[in-house]
Amino acid sequence: MPDIREVKSERLKESYFEIDHPSGLKILVYPKANYAATYAVFGTRYGSIDTEFRLRGEENFTCVPEGIAHFLEHKLFESEDLDAFERYAKTGASANAYTSFDKTCYLFSCTGKFQESLEILLDFVTHPYFTEKTVQKEQGIIGQEIQMCRDEAGWEALFSLLRAMYKTHPVRIDIAGTVESIAEITPELLYKCYETFYNFSNMVLCVAGNVTPDEVLSVADRLLKAQKPLQIERKFHREPREVAESYTEETLSVAFPIFSLGFKEAVATPERSLREILISDLILEAIAGKTSAFYSELLEAGLINTSFEKEYFCGYGYAAWIFTGESPDGREVQKRITERILELQKTGISEADFERIRKKLYGRSIMTFNDIDGIANSMVSAYFCGEGLFDEPEILQSLTLDEVNARLRSALQTDCASLSVIKPEGE
Amino acid sequence: MPVEPKVTQIGEKLRLLRVRTQNTKTTCISVILMMPLLKNTAENTVLASFLAHASAKYPTLSRLNERLEELYGAILSADVSKLGEGYRLRFSLTCIRDDLALAGEERLSVEALRLLLELLFSPHAENGAFDKTQLETEVRLCVEDIESELNDKRAYALSRCLEIMCADEPFGVSKTELLEAVRAVTPESMFNAWQQLLREATVSVQVIGNVDFEPLEEMLREKLASQEGDRAPAEIQTVFVEAAEDVTEVTEEMDVNQSKLVLGFRTGMRDCDDDYFATRLMTDLFGGGPYSRLFMHVREKLSLCYYCSARLDRYKGLLMVQSGIERKNKDAAFNEIQKQLQVMQNGEFTDEEFAASKAALCDAFRGIDDTPEGLDAYYAMSPDGAVRTPEDMVKGLAAVTREDVVRAAKRLTLDTVYLLAGKEEAVNA
Repeated sequence: MPDIREVKSERLKESYFEIDHPSGLKILVYPKANYAATYAVFGTRYGSIDTEFRLRGEENFTCVPEGIAHFLEHKLFESEDLDAFERYAKTGASANAYTSFDKTCYLFSCTGKFQESLEILLDFVTHPYFTEKTVQKEQGIIGQEIQMCRDEAGWEALFSLLRAMYKTHPVRIDIAGTVESIAEITPELLYKCYETFYNFSNMVLCVAGNVTPDEVLSVADRLLKAQKPLQIERKFHREPREVAESYTEETLSVAFPIFSLGFKEAVATPERSLREILISDLILEAIAGKTSAFYSELLEAGLINTSFEKEYFCGYGYAAWIFTGESPDGREVQKRITERILELQKTGISEADFERIRKKLYGRSIMTFNDIDGIANSMVSAYFCGEGLFDEPEILQSLTLDEVNARLRSALQTDCASLSVIKPEGE
Repeated sequence: MPVEPKVTQIGEKLRLLRVRTQNTKTTCISVILMMPLLKNTAENTVLASFLAHASAKYPTLSRLNERLEELYGAILSADVSKLGEGYRLRFSLTCIRDDLALAGEERLSVEALRLLLELLFSPHAENGAFDKTQLETEVRLCVEDIESELNDKRAYALSRCLEIMCADEPFGVSKTELLEAVRAVTPESMFNAWQQLLREATVSVQVIGNVDFEPLEEMLREKLASQEGDRAPAEIQTVFVEAAEDVTEVTEEMDVNQSKLVLGFRTGMRDCDDDYFATRLMTDLFGGGPYSRLFMHVREKLSLCYYCSARLDRYKGLLMVQSGIERKNKDAAFNEIQKQLQVMQNGEFTDEEFAASKAALCDAFRGIDDTPEGLDAYYAMSPDGAVRTPEDMVKGLAAVTREDVVRAAKRLTLDTVYLLAGKEEAVNA
């Protein structure tokens, strides 16, 4: 019998079940009473940044081509006979997959025939089938996906910034790789990555919605064979404190110049805790949130428009404070944001701002518990970070202004900044 | 579980729709106003964000946002969109459920509605004119918002195709003309347009969530009823062109890595309900999910693109096919799309494909009832006319036969072929 533990939230009056399946897979099930739909995600902690790795006992790191995690995601849908989409077509489920910097997830949502769809998901993700011919076919499709992304200004701006900020960390490479790098992918390399990262000890299955733990387990028990856990060692890229370039620009057919400004955080350990992430979100709101006089000033000065965004961007071995938007003068925006940060570091965030922003973040956190897709994907992220799904509202309640101001002063270094600008043609 | 919406007419073309959801964490309140597309188009375009950025009581964006943060980060959104030849302004507020507030029983939903009504009915204005300084900023933001559609090549190519295709209909109002008109709005013209909007729009107010509706409805009735004497709702009519006479072909060059091919078809629909279910299912089978003809053949078999899909605009009777390709493959992609259309018209799709499309579409509609956000977006698509629940859609789609699909496919006529082409020399790296 699998070990089942219920995790409750008094606040939300809801709970989910955490199951250690005998196969070695962790399974999380979040039943939602009165919902018609169910959403399932099968995720592996394997993304575009995992380009160098080794298993415990291996002497050398294996180096793989850029974009291989994403390529593998596309290829896993195929099998010797029917591909996964053709099988899902019989259940009516809507299926998809995505690859990010640090994970790959396969998902479906449905309002009926849940167990049939879950069976397809568990089956195809655990049965790779890669051949020369199918790899070649995908190079055409993904080649077009890469070209499409190169035309997407927001995407291009982000990666242009990441290349400027990072000297060695693979967060600087495009998730899909390049046309050249994916040409190096072979079935053998795909199998090597698959056998390393698609081990149950590196994966999680999360289901939310109109579902019970028993419904999930009856399929899992049948399909999932026990696996020997693997110990994967990811290369921790010692990224220097300094940025690669403080300024870069390129030209695209866009309507206005787009800026991306990043302050690189020096990280001594690979990962940030949920607490640090929430404090960082709060600090960003205080610096340039929509209630700040600073935001209105920039807006009225014509330096930004409603596309202005800010984000605390972090993952294994990297963390940065990023501001993006459209502006006729990115350098001026950088100057003003830098001044704003320095001033706030001197004065500290006020009690009133702290309380108000905290209230907002609390509300936004509660709102995420409506959507089963949001819940299931958050369960995946929370599990890979070693956090609980219900921790966020509780941590927000326990934050103090002192620790927020301390982090504002220590983690945000204005001298480690990169500015990337995408200019319209002809300027 | 679906709870039937309760619809009350509280005035001429003034509707109140409420839906109780179970076990959800938010309350969604929307006010939707529909005007004829060509009436005060520029002013209405600016109005949505003007009204949502300040009011008499909250005259700056900072003040308004402070209020929203006090309401536990309530999300306010405002947008305009074409619904056929109607122009829809939508103001929505989403807040957390009253009992999830930290200080116990705060009436968040009541406060949220109060704020929404304040924004709509008490704008930042005086003496018959909108605030000039705010307006200058709003016009700039609005212009930049419209122009930055260029950054999204897929959306840009689609709207260029629609402009060309519907150049002789109000729907085809061009971006260039709109931008010019937006730049010319004045504090007075804005004030007049706002008054006309309240007087002439078809209005639907939606309250969705697990919430005490009584105080909300009372507040709404009081506010809206006080306006009722002045109201004279305008008729909104959309031109449905049944069939294309000939094919227009336009190629425009831009420095892009990937070319975008858009095919615009007339569906033969004479209004938004005309053979709707058959047309909807036909569109999905042709170019919806991964089981569709376009996905299976243009992408998977020929490996020509990352996406090739079809979408239906029921409010204008148009079906648009979109694909991202290499320029040199334009003819190959075009021919394959035409070939797949013939397959549809000849009824040569398989029973499995037909069943897959039906199952996937019905499945998608069934999940809408789960969240206030889903229902709010769903009902906002039809602010007037008969109210159909997601379950009604499922029933309608389930009844469609293969013959219905073939009939709908046969009614398609190709109107416009648009190519946003990468420059020849910019051959892919």
